[in-house]
Amino acid sequence: MPQIIEAGKKMILVCCGTGCLANGSTDVYQELQQQLANHDVTVSTYTKATGCNGWCEKGPLVKIMPDDITYCQVAAKDVGEIVAKTIAKGELINRLLYRDPKTKQRVKSHHQIDFYKKQHKVALRNIGEIDPASIDDYISRDGYQALNKVLQAMTPGLVVEEIIKSGLRGRGGGGFPTGQKWKACADVESSLRYIICNGDEGDPGAFMDRSIMEGDPHTVIEGMIIGAYAVGATAGFIYVRDEYSLAVKNLGIAIDDARQKGYLGENILGSPLSFDIEIVRGGGAFVCGEETALMASIEGNVGEPRDKYVFPTEKGLWGQPTVINNVETWANVPVIINGGAEAWASIGTEGSKGTKVFSLVGKVINTGLVEVPMGTTLREIIYEIGGGILNKRKFKAVQTGGPSGGCIPAEMLDMAVDFDSLTEAGSMMGSGGLIVMDDHTCMVEIARYYVNFLAGESCGKCTPCREGLKAMLEILNNFCQGKGSDADLQFLTDISETMQMMSLCALGRTAANPVLSTLRYFKDEYLAHIHDQHCPAGVCRDLTEFYIDPEPCTGCGLCSEHCPVEAVSGAKKEAHVIDPAICIRCGECRNQCKFDAVMTR
Amino acid sequence: MTACIDMQDLSSILNRYPPEKRYILAIMQDIQGEYKYLPKAGLQMIADYVDAPLSRIYSMATFYKAFSLVPKGRINFKVCDGTACHIKGSKIIIDQIDKYLGIKPGETTADQEFSMETVNCLGACALAPVVVANEKVHPKVTSSGIIDIIKVYGGPNDAADN
Amino acid sequence: MKIMIDQQVLEVNPGVTILEAARQHGIHIPTLCYHEAFGGQGMCRMCMVEVKTPHSRKVVAACTYPVQSGIEVQTSTPEIEKGRRTIVALLYRSAPDSGFMHKLYKDYNCPENGLTINNGERCILCRLCVRACEEMGSSAISAVLRGTEKRIGTPFDEASAACIGCAACANICPTEAIAVEQTAQERTIWNRTFAMVQCQSCGRSFATREQINYISQKTGLAGLELEVCDLCRKKKLAAKIEQFAR
Repeated sequence: MPQIIEAGKKMILVCCGTGCLANGSTDVYQELQQQLANHDVTVSTYTKATGCNGWCEKGPLVKIMPDDITYCQVAAKDVGEIVAKTIAKGELINRLLYRDPKTKQRVKSHHQIDFYKKQHKVALRNIGEIDPASIDDYISRDGYQALNKVLQAMTPGLVVEEIIKSGLRGRGGGGFPTGQKWKACADVESSLRYIICNGDEGDPGAFMDRSIMEGDPHTVIEGMIIGAYAVGATAGFIYVRDEYSLAVKNLGIAIDDARQKGYLGENILGSPLSFDIEIVRGGGAFVCGEETALMASIEGNVGEPRDKYVFPTEKGLWGQPTVINNVETWANVPVIINGGAEAWASIGTEGSKGTKVFSLVGKVINTGLVEVPMGTTLREIIYEIGGGILNKRKFKAVQTGGPSGGCIPAEMLDMAVDFDSLTEAGSMMGSGGLIVMDDHTCMVEIARYYVNFLAGESCGKCTPCREGLKAMLEILNNFCQGKGSDADLQFLTDISETMQMMSLCALGRTAANPVLSTLRYFKDEYLAHIHDQHCPAGVCRDLTEFYIDPEPCTGCGLCSEHCPVEAVSGAKKEAHVIDPAICIRCGECRNQCKFDAVMTR
Repeated sequence: MTACIDMQDLSSILNRYPPEKRYILAIMQDIQGEYKYLPKAGLQMIADYVDAPLSRIYSMATFYKAFSLVPKGRINFKVCDGTACHIKGSKIIIDQIDKYLGIKPGETTADQEFSMETVNCLGACALAPVVVANEKVHPKVTSSGIIDIIKVYGGPNDAADN
Repeated sequence: MKIMIDQQVLEVNPGVTILEAARQHGIHIPTLCYHEAFGGQGMCRMCMVEVKTPHSRKVVAACTYPVQSGIEVQTSTPEIEKGRRTIVALLYRSAPDSGFMHKLYKDYNCPENGLTINNGERCILCRLCVRACEEMGSSAISAVLRGTEKRIGTPFDEASAACIGCAACANICPTEAIAVEQTAQERTIWNRTFAMVQCQSCGRSFATREQINYISQKTGLAGLELEVCDLCRKKKLAAKIEQFAR
């Protein structure tokens, strides 16, 4: 897609996604505006605050167009130099350019960086390129063309057909075919239908929906209007986590602008279609990502799910037929309509078409958001895009699908990732979190972590989920303290199976996945905890004692410097010693040690 | 805890929305935003305003994590315990705050100075582990780094005996 | 329409649930959170049954699943029995003081497990009390908190202004989890003490003052007229009918 840059001007894009903001990008942005206003630069410039570029690890990112320069980890104090050298004279500032760890070369454009090279942006196509608060920016990149197209040239039935043909599957969790959902809703006899965008992204470690709502809100809105036309809905709701204040703000601006331009409201663009959108802020409940719970919440109730024997497409919000899709799904709709289903579906795998956004986090070098074709292998994502494991440690597992997903071991790194392969591996796509774990991650503790998370997030309505999680948590807490028996392990499995079969909603039915998948691939680790009172990863504090191997220790003192309780002692350049009586087993010394001298037993 | 609640302010928040049950959540969010907790009087006013039983409002107030029924401390530490933060050591940070301030997640110090809560995921996984003190994001916090952060906000210099 | 439950072909009305269809024909499906007065809540999951349609085989909650023509239902399979046993084992752990749960625990032959027992507790969170309170029109109690912390209570665990002390909650509770202390003069429930009203004709304490006031308000009948217990009212009515019959 062409970069729209005003002729003869330089465009400076400052990433203001959450990661960059936390790293100080507001200061950079303000400093830039101030200096450009004061500095007498002969080139005319304009500055934009964009959404998340995905490469949070290297933020704040500043891009200068049309020169196609990307500066990493820019601080406010660098701004003067950027203005004086790069903007005024076109000179590169070497130290702000990314240094490729393999070739040791500085790289000018982000397009030449491995992190971006392998990516294929569809849902994220505009993010980082446009000012999310500008509807004109969106329009300049084919925005609202798809809406024009459906209103002028397609019947609602044809739109539904097109979505079915694309093979688009819901990006929020289950992967249900979107077109089928729309068709089911359109087929129900009713005078009132609703459209919902599920922006209650709750998976810890996943933030792609946040990024889209913040960085390109109009694509979500355009997708929803097209959906409303296709199924005959008159009102739409975007349910956003209240914690996502920037998303709420940017969506609000976008809805107002869209109304002003006639894309929302009565008789949209002169057509018979009337449709409007309201934002509903979520209250902080993971279970509200489940669609019936989400609808209960919009209605002004506690967010408890109900049995879905009658689908929301038939009886949804306030009992009316309702289509509910997540943010990333809606973001794909305008692209499908614009380029046609066939072109969209030309990438991906047999059963999973298109691309998927993953949030690549954990013990990986390049953390951030990546969008790749379905069917890309885990190895490509983690090693080529992600740059491999932090501190050259050993890859152990990758957790996908959030608390409903599972852990996938090293043997399966060459697995092509799509909806079906992940399910087969005992995990799931979920919303696309990829959390990389190294050999310092304890899989029993990870299972305990997810069960603990779910115990607090379960709505508590149905018995298997509420009581099952309570019991599983107790058993896993015991395991992490070296207590427990084979009988407990058996009971853990029984509870898991009961939860899968009998729980009310998807949260409960999948809540045992983190336990079952770690049991399937890392049973040895469970047995080590139970039988030998040993945590092989050195994480479970009751089962771990840190000590320093005097052989590799160089006495650099980094460990003692970072120890919060002064448990490490030793003279400079001599082997250090940890006093187990003082040590709180936080592992900071091991994290800091450059020589692998800190060991556990 | 006997903070004076201005009824006028409360009803001006209510009046931002039509008196319908679907706006209960939005009203509660606005009150929480204003007072940093939900005062008891506020819940009763919502119940009367939208004509719903107080028990329903209370259910919602205790169900959704965005709400607190007790006032938070002057400095509220939100420790992210999302997965990325967890595997990079958020648990240690929680323990350290407990050790230095004597509060567990959900608790406030007796002098109303500090409170701590854990949050699920702030979507800032690249900066893990993250601690947010009121609005300020502290990225990549270590077990020793959190002690300095506590001190910056006027916390004690030495850990309480435990 | 015709459906099949446990190999029996049944004629049922469209719109009923599997559980209702089964009960109408005397087929037993275990439940904990179901009451005819309120319909299915889908919470306890004891009533899970296997449903076979031409396209699928799935396990569903009988109390919320609407019957469809031609479905074949199995009310018990080895997997379902195992699941029910696990549910009972888990619930017993949370409510061991309930005789009801203790009996169920024995009946289901639950295997021993090493989990901590939540001593002193009886509530199994079936929420029949909440439904009953709603039906009475008071909605004084509700399910509060969430997840594993969930419990039943009044707002702030304080005496509720909405409560009329009718004890409908306690009466419907299958596990006797709601404490009611009663003398001839007073009834204490949910942290609130109510004055009792004595029947004008037999003198028995039969309702709280608030209950009488509430009914009076709802029906428009004078309070005094209502100060007669059910039993005496029936006797009076019978006497009247007898009079007319003469």
